[in-house]
Amino acid sequence: MEIAAIQTHGLTRRFGDLTAVDDVTFSVAQDQFFGFLGPNGAGKSTTIKMLTGLLEPSAGSIEILGQPFTAGSLDLKRQIGVVPEGMALFGRLTAPEYLRFVGRMYGLDRQTTNQRTDELLDFMQLSNETRKLVTDFSHGMQKKLALAAAVIHGPKVLFLDEPFEGVDAIAAGMLKSMLQRMISRGATIFLTTHVLEIVERLCSHVAIISKGRLVANGSIEELRTGVASSLPGLEAGQRLTLEEIFLSIVGAGGQEAAQELSWLA
Amino acid sequence: MAGVAQPAGLPAGPFSPLARSQYAALTSMRWSMFRNSLRTTRGAIELGARSIAFAFYLLIGLGLAAGFGGGTYAIAASGKWEILSALFWALFVMWQVVPVTLASFQEHFDLGGLLRFPVSFGAFFLLHLIFGLVDASTVMGGLCCIGIWIGMLFARPDLYAWAALALVIFAAFNILLVRAISAWIDRWLAQRRTREIVGALFFAVLLSVQLLNPAYWSSQKHPHVSARTRAAGLRWLEKANSVQRWLPPGLAALEVERSGGRRTVAAIESASLLGIYVLGVGAVLGMRLGGEYRGENFGEAPARRKVEPRTRSWLLDGSGPIAAVMEKEARVLTRAMPLIYALAAPLLMVFVLSGLFIKRGVAQGPANSFSLLVSLAYALVGFTQLFYNNLGPEGPGIQMLFLCPTPMRTVMLAKSLFHTLLFFVDAVLVCIITSLRIGWPVPAAIAATIAWLLFALPVHLAAGNVFSLNMPYRMNLGRITRQRGSQASALFSMLIQLGVLGIGTGIVAACSYFHRLWLAVPVFLVLALAAFIAWMRVLSSVDGMAARRRESLLATLVRTD
Repeated sequence: MEIAAIQTHGLTRRFGDLTAVDDVTFSVAQDQFFGFLGPNGAGKSTTIKMLTGLLEPSAGSIEILGQPFTAGSLDLKRQIGVVPEGMALFGRLTAPEYLRFVGRMYGLDRQTTNQRTDELLDFMQLSNETRKLVTDFSHGMQKKLALAAAVIHGPKVLFLDEPFEGVDAIAAGMLKSMLQRMISRGATIFLTTHVLEIVERLCSHVAIISKGRLVANGSIEELRTGVASSLPGLEAGQRLTLEEIFLSIVGAGGQEAAQELSWLA
Repeated sequence: MAGVAQPAGLPAGPFSPLARSQYAALTSMRWSMFRNSLRTTRGAIELGARSIAFAFYLLIGLGLAAGFGGGTYAIAASGKWEILSALFWALFVMWQVVPVTLASFQEHFDLGGLLRFPVSFGAFFLLHLIFGLVDASTVMGGLCCIGIWIGMLFARPDLYAWAALALVIFAAFNILLVRAISAWIDRWLAQRRTREIVGALFFAVLLSVQLLNPAYWSSQKHPHVSARTRAAGLRWLEKANSVQRWLPPGLAALEVERSGGRRTVAAIESASLLGIYVLGVGAVLGMRLGGEYRGENFGEAPARRKVEPRTRSWLLDGSGPIAAVMEKEARVLTRAMPLIYALAAPLLMVFVLSGLFIKRGVAQGPANSFSLLVSLAYALVGFTQLFYNNLGPEGPGIQMLFLCPTPMRTVMLAKSLFHTLLFFVDAVLVCIITSLRIGWPVPAAIAATIAWLLFALPVHLAAGNVFSLNMPYRMNLGRITRQRGSQASALFSMLIQLGVLGIGTGIVAACSYFHRLWLAVPVFLVLALAAFIAWMRVLSSVDGMAARRRESLLATLVRTD
């Protein structure tokens, strides 16, 4: 039996009376491009923070590459790369300085760090901005740099929290092909995003979280079949988009009319 | 449009209905923020610390006010009006210097965030003035003004109205000038080019102050001044006096003096000139705030070059995390003016304060045993932020420190080592300054001071690591003024600094008293050993502490306000 890249059992996180993530259990196989979806405030970022050691679970367990994962699992941390919600950048460094710092913090030697820094800067089209401080980068450039830092040590599992937010179409296309190449080389990617088209194009498997609970989990085809069978009046052969699947599972609530604002022009 | 406080098309001045509703909204928002901050233990501690700091500054202010009041009474009662301007000059210097050395009582609120709302420039200007009015300099300066007025009231009750007029205009001038200076400093430091120029000027001033030293000493050693030199000096003083009468402190004094001589028109003339200065400073501040209001944004980057040189230079060799953290700290430090300023300002103050020891005879007396120790203790003040809030400058980067496979203990150790190295450089400079100013103390005092440092540094590093993890606050490395700080952290760190200094001076004083100064060395070494063990114990518990405080640290340093 193959070891799962990511495995959670009853993962729960409470903030006082609020349960942000409630008894979430799922498994992500190796080489899988896994999309983790949910509406705003559903618990996506809280889950990713727990999976990467930035937040302690209130209950439940996490396994990465078959080993129990906690904030102190330093060997496992070498195997994962993360683009967190706040991007984790140091504003007063330049892009090469930041990448070199990250490379050294992950234990890469000098030659490898320098070589990968140059290659990543070229790949992310940041090589003309080597004297600019990160604080002066545009949001999109910061995202590209954060992604470069997340992969500099060649992680086996990559956690990406909204990686395409603010990135232009050209760069997004480049990043997508880079991520797909990583998958083909055996990496696992755990992605959260609100752009369902990206998930539909890239991800083989999807989990949907709503109000802290996992409400769907499986391959996109499995979800499509499951939703299609529960929807009355669906024409034979009609292929549901991921957006339709998502709205069907999470539910728009049928509140369009009630939410109309009469005073808005 | 129904429900809108001020219909479109009406002028939106600082007192328009829209502006008034905005002030009310801001007041309500600040009150809510204050109330919400008390929900946490840290918020309650902050409030307590702010109250203590306020009471402390209030006491200092009252003491100074009594001094200024007494001085005014003596001057007015004796009719020696020519000295009054010196009093106003002293108040002016204090008013402008206090903000440099003391933090504000209140949390700074970035008014730039208001620009997305329809706030008029007048309202923006007024808010800038009001926010931060409860500042150490304003409170202390205001109390001193009241002290001067009361002194005048007792000596010359007939001048109460004239004195009040002069003091109100003088206070307005000082309040506006403090704001204008801080706003322009932030503007100059916002760009790399101007920051480098300001930095160079700062160090040039520091250096020139050092160069004045030999001249000063030469005049001390050769007190004989020729009649010609003395006459030239007097002529220079007369010229300086005639110039200062046209400057705000001189004008304020002149207004009171002229009113005392029943020269009403002349007094009004002085008050009017002082008023023109207020308008001038207000205009200078307005120019700066106008830039902020228009939404200026200064980049740090130099102009882009066609072909960027690909540098692979490493400041510190070795690929280990300790070298990586130390190199990062060094690079950030060179680009963070608030940190450079914090490190350099005590050097200037050491130079100034060492003058206290230079009274004839004192430099060779028992007080000389303390000179180096006290100077180094003052230099340590510059390291308060680095020691006690060493994660504050990281901002969102703190996440990287938690994500990477490097224990937080290693990160803290690297930071501590870097700060110790930095302090070593500062300490060498302090030794040079004090030796030039006061001379070297006896060898036993030097040895005692070094032994005291070996005790003081681990104490600060240990306490600093604990504070950094438990009471962090986010620093804005792009500006010196209008920083958000933690009054609780500042207060507790100051108490520790005072405690360490108290132990040092107490032991040196006791040993000096019994003519056994050398005995202080082994005592400090024993204390240093205990402090070092304590620091090691703190370091060994850093990982656990960081894990427990992880969420709070991330919430404080990553989240936007």
